[in-house]
Amino acid sequence: MSEKSRAERAQHLRERLNNELNRMSLDQCVKCTICETSCPVAAVTPLFSGPKFVGPQAERFRDGDSVDHSVDYCSSCGTCSVVCPQGVNVAELNSLARAVMKAEHGVPIRDRIITQTVLMGQAMTPVAPLANAVLDNKLARFAMEKVVGVHRGAPMPTARTQSLHTWLKKRPAPAKAPTRGALVYFHGCAGGYFEVDAAKKAIEVLEHLGYEVLVPPQGCCGLAEQSNGLFEQATKSVRALVKALRSAGTDLTIVSTAGSCTGMLKHEAHEILGLHDTELADVGTRIREISEFLMELHEAGELPTDFEPIKQRLPYHAPCQLKSQGMGTPAFDLLRLIPGLEVVDSNATCCGIAGTYGLKKEKYDIAQAVGKPLFDMVKQTEQGLAACDTETCRWQIENSTGVRTVHPIVLVHQAYGLGAVTP
Amino acid sequence: MSDVVVIGTGLAGLTAALRLARSGRSVMLVTKGPGGLQLSQGTLDILGYTPERVERPLEAVAAVASDHPYASIGADAVGAAAAWLAGALVPELLVGDPARNLHLPTAVGALRPTALAQPSMVAGDAIGGRSYAVVGVRQLKDFPADLVAGNLARSTAPDGGALAASAAWVDLPARPGEADPSPLTYARALDEEAFAARFARAVAAAAGPGDVVALPAVLGVRRSGVWRQVAEVVGRDVCEIPLPPPSVPGLRLYEALLALVRAAGVRIITGSRIVGRTLEADAVASVTLAAAGGPRQLRADAFVYAPGGFESGALEVDSFGAISEPVFGLPLTATDAGPLIPATYWGPHPLFAVGVRTDAAGRPVDAAGAAVHPNLYVAGGLIAGAERWREKSGDGIAVATAVRAADHITGGTR
Repeated sequence: MSEKSRAERAQHLRERLNNELNRMSLDQCVKCTICETSCPVAAVTPLFSGPKFVGPQAERFRDGDSVDHSVDYCSSCGTCSVVCPQGVNVAELNSLARAVMKAEHGVPIRDRIITQTVLMGQAMTPVAPLANAVLDNKLARFAMEKVVGVHRGAPMPTARTQSLHTWLKKRPAPAKAPTRGALVYFHGCAGGYFEVDAAKKAIEVLEHLGYEVLVPPQGCCGLAEQSNGLFEQATKSVRALVKALRSAGTDLTIVSTAGSCTGMLKHEAHEILGLHDTELADVGTRIREISEFLMELHEAGELPTDFEPIKQRLPYHAPCQLKSQGMGTPAFDLLRLIPGLEVVDSNATCCGIAGTYGLKKEKYDIAQAVGKPLFDMVKQTEQGLAACDTETCRWQIENSTGVRTVHPIVLVHQAYGLGAVTP
Repeated sequence: MSDVVVIGTGLAGLTAALRLARSGRSVMLVTKGPGGLQLSQGTLDILGYTPERVERPLEAVAAVASDHPYASIGADAVGAAAAWLAGALVPELLVGDPARNLHLPTAVGALRPTALAQPSMVAGDAIGGRSYAVVGVRQLKDFPADLVAGNLARSTAPDGGALAASAAWVDLPARPGEADPSPLTYARALDEEAFAARFARAVAAAAGPGDVVALPAVLGVRRSGVWRQVAEVVGRDVCEIPLPPPSVPGLRLYEALLALVRAAGVRIITGSRIVGRTLEADAVASVTLAAAGGPRQLRADAFVYAPGGFESGALEVDSFGAISEPVFGLPLTATDAGPLIPATYWGPHPLFAVGVRTDAAGRPVDAAGAAVHPNLYVAGGLIAGAERWREKSGDGIAVATAVRAADHITGGTR
């Protein structure tokens, strides 16, 4: 790309930063420090001086150049915006400020690679055993750290030999005819390529409840690109996804097992990328995270709770990008409906990974320190299994604790008698 | 669906949620942010000024004007509510006697009356003849040890006796390379035993003359008893003095109450505002949660509204001076701010006494004194009749009105 286009891009982003509503919200900051006390990154490193300092305060000095580069150490977990009692969009402001800074100073090639989740899935699935062997190889990971800047200890997804859509094409038609109408299922990149088992189980649970499950071909939501400051790419990704999800019907509920991608569609693409498309708003209001959807059924008295007992203690972690949807912790409530299952909420702020943050060699140690209280809690409470709603957080927990970590729907699937948790 | 939806996680909302859950009710607690408790001093004020300084708060509660929030509750119930909350906090976090005020040094060396305080603070109670060895930390800007000592030394204790104080400093970075550490940075460092031991040795070496070593309130946030560890090394009593936010004692109290609420099985939604309600006849059927991706209705049999007052945006004043309560549209004791804002900063500010008037159960009432909704209760800063920050009555009002609402719901409607 030419220098001119980079300057133009920075100028465009700066105009957004200066003129959008988020900018006005910084005047609502009363300097109460609640975001500072809640920030999981500032708690473990002085390299990030805290969301208030970097956000509502430093923002007033960003006139002409990005003076404060510590914004790059923000992990985009969004906790500051969740806890702000005055409604300041701290995380949104800081994400935009980082995008401006990256547009001015350039984006590392590493950040362009690790955001390509669909490409990774498409490339790894046909050669899954080989890809997994490479990612398990210490020498390969050492080289990857040196050349690309992805830390050798960071969690990597496990490639599967069959993608979700291949399974969908090959499986026999569902035995039970639908009794409750159709739903659109959004599986995310992880459900499509890396956590195919959880995606299949989500479909089987929805079919068990009587829904016809439509699974249109779908790509990435662009969240990883967005959190790395690649706003144009993220915009393209999320618009393509919106189109794909709408292709299955424009008045159906969309149910998702991709917890953070759901937040991207509900609010982040609008608030951070600044997209005002009516199609995005349409998808954003129709989509439900799967536990949220099942708990809505439960509240309406329409969820069968003939669950088989699962006698186990289960540490559960509600990820940041689920909490930032401002709907509580529906998976925690849902799992507690299963008899025998003793669900223990981690009450931890963040696992540290924040999408791609904890993969980066210069941030890996910070991410591990952020996640330490969670890892300790999981190790103290686990009986072989932990649960969490978002994929990269599951990989982080599993990688840092050695405890198998699954999507909550996997346990619901088992409790409905649809199959045990596969080892 | 829950039995009760409680809105707000300040002292009032947390107290109401805890009391309800412990009575066996299913509770949903909803809040935009964590509320003001973690910005507070981490103590429990009942009544500090009337405007004279109060030594026996419950006696003063019994004598408040008839439009004060305490008037319809009574001194016994206020004392019982405070004692119940203190008793719920295990391990002990609030100590003292609701009937007698402590007078604790502030971060500028003034004396502040409060009823219940944290065990790490009470050795600072200003009793005539007491002397303080004030020790500051060079890297911590919010605790000016010389100012604290100077002001204490020229103050008279409430019993008429004299106070004495010395000032000293320690030089001990909590995190290398950090230019502007917050009190919380120190508290987190002091959660580590090794750093606390180094800190204690530095304080022991530096402290000047005085019976009580007065330190900034940073003695641990998660690990309890750090102050005892320091006192043992120093060989004298230690008292913590709360700092401006981030307030470590406020965080301790907030996190302790939140943990109790969670342990009692309360479901919690953080990060979304309540923006409206639906009605069935006169009763509130649901409140509207402005979640990401669109509004969600939270249904319940009863609702406790504990959102705070002007400081949290629960009461609004627009550019024409019109005062309103935007969520439920509740009747207020005044609707025009103009005449209520005086020219003098130090004078009474009647605007801050504006709010919702309630019946004896804690339900908002209209001009005729009738409950607006049979199942809507209010607690804390929204209630009219007190200028809390001048009186130092906000904590006691929050706790007493929360307990009143909870007890009416569990005893009256079910």
